[in-house]
Amino acid sequence: MKWISTISKKRLKLIIFGFVLFGLSVVIRLFYVQVIQHDKLTQLAKENWDREIPFASERGEIVDRNGKVIVTNKLAPTLYFMPAQNDNIEEAANQIASVLNLDAKKLYEKMNTRDYLVKLAPEAKNITYEQAVQIQGLKIDGLYSGVDYIRHYPYGNLLSRFLGFTGYDTQGLAGIEYQYNKLLTSKDAAIRLYTDAQGNSLPHVDDEWREGDQGATVELTIDLEVQEVVERELSQAMKKYNADQALAIAMDVNTGEILALSSYPTYDPSNFEETDQSIYNRNLPVWMTYEPGSTFKIITLSAALEEDVVDLENDMFYDKGYTIVEDSRLRCWKREGHGSETFLQVVENSCNPGFIEMGQRVGATKLLQYIKDFGFGEPTGSNIAGEASGILFSEESFGPVEHATTSFGQGIAVTPIQQVQAVAAAVNGGKLFKPYVVSRVYDSESGNTILESKPELKRNVISEETSKKVREALESVVANGSGRQAYRDGLRIGGKTGTAQKVVDGRYKDGEYIVSFIGFAPADNPQVVVYVAIDNPKSSVVFGSTIAAPIVGQIIEDIAPKINLEVDRKGQLEKQYRWGDPITERVPNLVGYTLDEIMKLQYPFNIEIHGDGKKVTSQLPEAENIIQQDGTIHLYLEEN
Amino acid sequence: MSLIGIVFIFSAGTYWSSIHYEGELPFYIKQSMYLLLAIIVFIFVANMSVFTREKTWITLYVLSLILLVLVLIPGIGIVRNGSRSWIGLGPLTIQPAELVKITTLMYLSFLLSKVKNSERVVQIKHFLIIILPCALIMLQPDFGSVFILVVSAFILLFIARYPIKLYVGFIVLGVVGLIVLIASAPYRLKRIEAFINPWEDPLGSGFQAVQSLLAIGPAGILGHGFQESRQKFLYLPEPQNDFIFSIILEEIGLLGGCFVLALFGIFIYAGCGLALQSIKSSDFYVISALVGMVGFQAALNIGVVIGLIPVTGVTLPFISYGGTSLMIIWFVVAIVICFSNQSEVYKE
Repeated sequence: MKWISTISKKRLKLIIFGFVLFGLSVVIRLFYVQVIQHDKLTQLAKENWDREIPFASERGEIVDRNGKVIVTNKLAPTLYFMPAQNDNIEEAANQIASVLNLDAKKLYEKMNTRDYLVKLAPEAKNITYEQAVQIQGLKIDGLYSGVDYIRHYPYGNLLSRFLGFTGYDTQGLAGIEYQYNKLLTSKDAAIRLYTDAQGNSLPHVDDEWREGDQGATVELTIDLEVQEVVERELSQAMKKYNADQALAIAMDVNTGEILALSSYPTYDPSNFEETDQSIYNRNLPVWMTYEPGSTFKIITLSAALEEDVVDLENDMFYDKGYTIVEDSRLRCWKREGHGSETFLQVVENSCNPGFIEMGQRVGATKLLQYIKDFGFGEPTGSNIAGEASGILFSEESFGPVEHATTSFGQGIAVTPIQQVQAVAAAVNGGKLFKPYVVSRVYDSESGNTILESKPELKRNVISEETSKKVREALESVVANGSGRQAYRDGLRIGGKTGTAQKVVDGRYKDGEYIVSFIGFAPADNPQVVVYVAIDNPKSSVVFGSTIAAPIVGQIIEDIAPKINLEVDRKGQLEKQYRWGDPITERVPNLVGYTLDEIMKLQYPFNIEIHGDGKKVTSQLPEAENIIQQDGTIHLYLEEN
Repeated sequence: MSLIGIVFIFSAGTYWSSIHYEGELPFYIKQSMYLLLAIIVFIFVANMSVFTREKTWITLYVLSLILLVLVLIPGIGIVRNGSRSWIGLGPLTIQPAELVKITTLMYLSFLLSKVKNSERVVQIKHFLIIILPCALIMLQPDFGSVFILVVSAFILLFIARYPIKLYVGFIVLGVVGLIVLIASAPYRLKRIEAFINPWEDPLGSGFQAVQSLLAIGPAGILGHGFQESRQKFLYLPEPQNDFIFSIILEEIGLLGGCFVLALFGIFIYAGCGLALQSIKSSDFYVISALVGMVGFQAALNIGVVIGLIPVTGVTLPFISYGGTSLMIIWFVVAIVICFSNQSEVYKE
């Protein structure tokens, strides 16, 4: 028999103390896990338990200024696979591959992972209904078909170089889709299947529907109808002249809202894989930088008028075909020269020596300041991806020759959108507005605005008075000068042509030109400015006046009713007749006259009579329209 | 006797939970049968003075060592989860390692109680008694059982006035031993890695730890409610066994967990109380050793479940499913009561 020592008892108590300590640490740990980490672990556990079959929510739409849908989504059945539920993945991969015509080996690699759920995209996304039925018939374990969306472009190529495109998981990869990806992206809804770890569903837990969020809608300032007209004209020009590239911008002169934005060649955003990167990554109206040519003369003109160094109608200029500046002979585009002319005629004729004179009268420093004030040399801030800033001469290198060439638009490089921004300011009363293309981003469900853009006035460049003179001069360019092919009766189009030799690797390239025209209407109260440039058109006569001007004229004519441009002939300059132009006259008013009276007047037109009666009740075309001399007037008669 | 009552209430509580937390029908019916059997054995053993004799335990110690050898023979031993730890006896399976833990501790207790004051405290034969079964269990291999046995034995030696200095040595030795053990089996290294950062490979080596945390975390203070466990649906490996405590925590939350913890606390407290009341040093050692073993095993299991200790395959005493372990636990309690009864007799 042996009695227990007190040391032993003490030590046992020490052991008990150890247990108590451990118990305390357990409680602390439990508190940490169950209370502090509670939310985080709950989230993780839900992910662990749930087998979610995603029901994709729609990515936000892109709409035009009137709410018309430009980019939307289309339902696309998509296969999902749970590797844990299938014992023979290789066999399953083979079966699916044979139905969908896929590479079985690659599919197997994708399916044979340790993930809970594999989305078989892009291979098995947007499969046809027949394929889906056929695959369902195979009864492959762990294979589910879920709902997904693919991006749908109802207008195909329209606006594509601006819009960009999305990848197979509808993530924006280029253009506006990329830029506004965060806002456009939706949160998928899903059916949550409560299953055990092997994927068998549990009887006593109801499946749950998880709400998703639709992506926000991006509203553009683009007017689809205007865009369609512009793209139609550009595509025709591309074909007609077999051009390398073409671009166009239409902008609201008084707000900076871009109504149309186009680059050619275009591509189909749903097939972007087959398109060269240089096409979808370059949005020409903001990316392309080139010598503007004569369209830039508008800036020189505005500066000269604002500085009051030239009187267009009374100052005379003699063009002998060239000017010599510091031993350099700078030629006019017309070899023999324009001879003696007023400065208005200098503008109409786009006479280079005349503009050099104007530039010199303004002075080098001031001219350069005007150019900068008009927004050249820096991005416009339009928030369109990939905008370039252009290249100007620095003040130190702005010598007399550079000064002279800049006056008529050579030796500098600008972007189309800079020109549009500047010309809009030159004709709208001198207000330089920031161009913009996204007017609003709003929640697709509630309609609440998330982001909004308002017209932003950068600065006043010239006075209203000067601007009025610029408008008048440019209207006369269209009526009497190099822009005559843009003339449209009653629309009072003003504008300026441009023809610039292409610069490749720092040298002018022979025989390759970028021809352009910038036009606005109506000249007394400008609403819209349209710029078109065609890169390297193949034609016997390569001038902005012959190629770009008629396109702008046509665009403005066709969009006029869509943007509520009123036809108003009051104060319009009559188009000057030149040899070769069709002889036109104004249609006389014949309504109210009897047939006998009309016959006595002996008009040169063909007259076709419709209906019986004595008096003319209506006529086509209506009075005051322009008609060719051998044109036909239809008269409609009614009894009494 | 009132202390025995508390132990009973505890067992009743755990019985209740052992039925319900297992979920599936066959488990709890089997377990109830085991429990019935265990209680019969308990009543039987608690009243048999045979189990208080030293000779009985020497015999049982030798017998359990023989069983440990037998289990290693392929025809007799059954392999489960990669360890050859079970002996099949008709429909029943027996885990000799469970038995040997007790016999070793018992034998050791008796030896220690005979150490005279004049004698050296530290004796080689004590270590031999421990090392022999450990070596045999390692051959299965069953790291968990070895760990429990070694630690329980050291608790016992500690109580038996082994010098503290030696314990420092033990700890150093233990750490070295652990490193050797881990290095010798790659799956152990993986478990350690998984312990340090279970989220690194949540589907691989960190799976158990992660799943256990996923059970416990979302339950919060009150739990999902009885039978509302999600993780028991095959997410957690062996939810009725090693990870039953996660399910308890998942269903009745932090408070329920604390309740179970408290029951174990009461068990240890009561057990040690019995030990302190005993008169003979052999009684004292036996009760302390057994209570220490049960307590340590519970602590180890709980530690694993809540991520304080790397994953080790250890059951939660009283609660976890498993015929042998339940029998053994009740057997242990019976022995404890046996010895404390004996002490009562002495007092009178």
